[in-house]
Amino acid sequence: MTMDDNKLTFDKLTSDLTHHIRINKGFLIWMGFLTISLFICLYAYTIQLRTGLGVAGIRDYVTWGMYLANFVFFVAASLIGMLVSAVLGLIGMKWITPITRIAETIAVAFAAVAGLVIVSDMGRPERLAYVFIYGRPQSPILWDVTVITTYFVLSLLLLFLPLIADMAIIHRKVDNLPSWLKPVYKSLSLNFTDNPQQNKIINRSIRILLILLIPAALSIHTVTSWLFAVTSRAGWDSTVFGPYFVSGAFVAGSAAVIIAMFFFRKNYKLQDYLTDVHFNNMGKVLATVSLVYLYFNINEFLVPGYKLKRADAVHLQELFAGKDAILFWLIQVGGLLLPILFMLFRRFRKPLPIMLISVAVLIAAWFKRYLIVVPTQEHPFLPIQHVPQNFMHYSPTLIETLITIAPFIMVLIIITLISKFFPVIPLHDKKKKKGIDHIKFD
Amino acid sequence: MRFKKLLFILSIISFVTRISAQTWVVPDDQKAVVAPVKFTADMQKQGEQQYLKNCQSCHGLMGKDNWAKLTPPPGDLSKEKAQVQTDGELFYRITAGKVPMPEFRNILTEDDRWSVIAYLRTFNPKYIQPTPVAKAAFTGRIVTLALEYSDPMKKIVVTASEQLKDGQTGLAAGVEIMLFVKRYFGRMQVGEIKTTNAQGKALFEFPADLPGNKDGFVEISAMVNDPKSVMKTTPANASFAIGIKTDKPGLTETRAWWSTRDHAPIWIILTYTLSVIIVWGFIIYIVYSIMKIKKLSREV
Amino acid sequence: MEDINNPHSPNESDNEKGSTRRNFLKNLGLAGVGVATGAAALYSGHIFEAKKNVSGDQRVLLTQDGKLVQVDSLEIKALNKDKEELHESMWRGGIPGKRWVMVTDLSKCRNARKCISACQDAHQLRPEQYHMNTLQMQDAPGTAPYNMPKNCQHCDNPPCVAVCPVDATYKRPDGIVIIENDRCIGCRFCMAACPYSARIFNWIEPKDAAIHEGQDYNAELNVPQKMGTVSKCLFSADRLREGKLPYCVEACPNGVYYFGDENEDAVTNGTTKETVRLSKLLRDNGGYQLMPELGTKPRVYYLPPKNRLFPFEESNDLTPEKA
Repeated sequence: MTMDDNKLTFDKLTSDLTHHIRINKGFLIWMGFLTISLFICLYAYTIQLRTGLGVAGIRDYVTWGMYLANFVFFVAASLIGMLVSAVLGLIGMKWITPITRIAETIAVAFAAVAGLVIVSDMGRPERLAYVFIYGRPQSPILWDVTVITTYFVLSLLLLFLPLIADMAIIHRKVDNLPSWLKPVYKSLSLNFTDNPQQNKIINRSIRILLILLIPAALSIHTVTSWLFAVTSRAGWDSTVFGPYFVSGAFVAGSAAVIIAMFFFRKNYKLQDYLTDVHFNNMGKVLATVSLVYLYFNINEFLVPGYKLKRADAVHLQELFAGKDAILFWLIQVGGLLLPILFMLFRRFRKPLPIMLISVAVLIAAWFKRYLIVVPTQEHPFLPIQHVPQNFMHYSPTLIETLITIAPFIMVLIIITLISKFFPVIPLHDKKKKKGIDHIKFD
Repeated sequence: MRFKKLLFILSIISFVTRISAQTWVVPDDQKAVVAPVKFTADMQKQGEQQYLKNCQSCHGLMGKDNWAKLTPPPGDLSKEKAQVQTDGELFYRITAGKVPMPEFRNILTEDDRWSVIAYLRTFNPKYIQPTPVAKAAFTGRIVTLALEYSDPMKKIVVTASEQLKDGQTGLAAGVEIMLFVKRYFGRMQVGEIKTTNAQGKALFEFPADLPGNKDGFVEISAMVNDPKSVMKTTPANASFAIGIKTDKPGLTETRAWWSTRDHAPIWIILTYTLSVIIVWGFIIYIVYSIMKIKKLSREV
Repeated sequence: MEDINNPHSPNESDNEKGSTRRNFLKNLGLAGVGVATGAAALYSGHIFEAKKNVSGDQRVLLTQDGKLVQVDSLEIKALNKDKEELHESMWRGGIPGKRWVMVTDLSKCRNARKCISACQDAHQLRPEQYHMNTLQMQDAPGTAPYNMPKNCQHCDNPPCVAVCPVDATYKRPDGIVIIENDRCIGCRFCMAACPYSARIFNWIEPKDAAIHEGQDYNAELNVPQKMGTVSKCLFSADRLREGKLPYCVEACPNGVYYFGDENEDAVTNGTTKETVRLSKLLRDNGGYQLMPELGTKPRVYYLPPKNRLFPFEESNDLTPEKA
């Protein structure tokens, strides 16, 4: 290749991957919509702050409701960063390179918001600092708070490190940037000049992060599953809860990544970079983790269903044929079995069909967590008596629903902002892949 | 026909049993008992306090008809059913009790019981107190108890002495003795009631497995069993090192999952702290490296 | 408490006296005059810094070593911290040498619900909030139904305490599992972990919150209740300290409850006030624990509902009584 070819390809690459970094009408409308929605939801939260958690449908028996299901879901979705970057990356899958930043963005957004979700479930949110001041190392909540914070910082660093080089490129090579963004990019680029020492530091740091990310990510969801599994309640008292949750998290996260890929590709015109191959491969990943999840589901329901111990029998009866049966079978069939079947065929792993499948999977993943959290509490060991009707069965309220929606809006805002102001596809990596190795900086 | 006969008999039986379950006959001599003193405002006030403490949980507040739903119904004592009874009847019922009503013989003193009646009567405007009959001068036995522990016999010896007519003190035979050991919420009876022998002594075996304090001491008291209050008695109290030495540690000594933070199992503290230090050590190292990137560009 | 001075056991009675004095001081602190404890230190400081802050309002206070001192009322506020420390050591330390235990005789319970109302009155609870609740139980379709009063089992291996992230709920040396609502963050993990559904939550502003506002918090009674925090049965720790039986035990008209100290091997019936041996009571009546297979090691025992003296009346109204 000649120097000119290099120059040309590089310029095209840079412009393809950065042309969306500008404030346009669509962006403003979208952000305005998100912000207004968020304020409505936050208003609902101020009502809860004033009048207490009683504004939600949770009561003394079903004491954890949608908020906690939401928390589990958010932790689950954030796990994908580790699967894509660390697991697939470390075993040498080359095709994941353009997806890593999307996965990390999702990880950062969901992990950051998961911490907020749990605050919305606290009776005394102003005492959040007590967890750090008086934290008991025996409580899974302290572990959870610790690992989520750690995972968030690891993911943030992993998102940032590859961005350094991109920032340097954009800062120097892209001219049509909004003027107020230039100094931001400059400081974020840390005066990166592509010298070997700098590259060495970045590569080594990324490698350390990738290795740390695996135990941290496994921990966040295992520990979250222990919030339930350390109790003796029917439906929670399970030894496979850790891997059951982790595999379920991969399902939710993969689906989230596919959906994000689809919209980035469409909105930011990245068809040349996020190709059918990527969707096909991500479809395979989703199918694989779904199969693993199916395997744990069979374990989780067949084993206690075989013995039918007293409390388990009541719990499973309600799930399989009782009050929660419709939701349960919709999730298991529509969110797990059918998607697996479809994804076995190549034509369903094309961008649009796989995105639609992913949406179904993601919605099912949320309701699945609802079914893990709520029904168990409706069947405690001792009967629920002498209490008002709304103590016996959980039904979410409007305010509770709004407060549950708020974190989704926050995640969308974070993902929108990150993807809007930074290249969705790692520029520096792409440049190397194309053999453009000697771009002079300045 | 036989069936009808059977039904008739059954209904008779059930009627009779129901009647017998509901009637609570007070002996005539008890009905005639009257209070030893004239009811005073102070007594009524004191009676009210006793009522609220001991009676209100079943009988409810006076005149409010909010008595507990029990069988047989306790009823509101301001109502006619209670108020038509003589003071003696009320006194007897309070004293003796009948399941489910507790007997207050040992819970309320005689004065307390009369003050409760004084209070109950304030709800009956038609009530006129019969002339009080002061208790006749005491002519019964005056018994004093003493306690000792006999090591050779391994028994507690209660000696009852009484004041004789000539002013002398003699040993009291034929007195029923109850032995108690002090516990946190009250006295616990030890063994059966014993009657003193000709030497005025009653011997009690002390259970070998009863816990004492950390030196094995137990506080013992001996009392005369005198349900009809025909004697004047002085109980005896003593403390002997005959219980099991009990100095059990608090229940929070062990390091367990449920212990407080200060008492967390060492391995949990270590695992948690080390994991945090190691991972955050790496994080800090990486942040430091990132800052180095900036410096490196200047050097080149 | 009876206080029998006896020459045979000088140590015993001294201890007894010592502890009553300490209790007195602790109660004094509770009553809102907790400033007393540090009064001695304050008094010495007062001599040095004479006439600096003087309101003219002199208060007489009792020091920890039993002296009476006079302190200006302006200086009293400074000691709130000591009061807190005093409370902490008292609440967390429990009542020394005791291991509380409760025995519930199911053959006597006729669902009078007096225990419940006494408890709710004492703890400022709404009608649907139960530290103690009577459940209508039937173990199997063929077996007889019975009433079962159920409160916190004060487990020796308490799953609720294990999961608390902030030491807000803890087990005391005397066996009581307590909750401090000025520490509780309201995560409700303890409620999820409790297999006996013994814990409740203040979902909204507690009953009569306006009336009780400003009242000094007493963890041994968990009063005043606080919105957004968990509440639970405390075996009426405040009453035990005074040598009295718990509210529910005392209120029962049917002799259902026995309460006492396992270390003394004695329990006292709340209705008849009769004190009996714990071990014998359990042995003779086939005493058992609730769900022992969970390994929670409860401190509440049940006597089986045999030879009941009255019929079981099924109450269709399982919603709380209208207050």
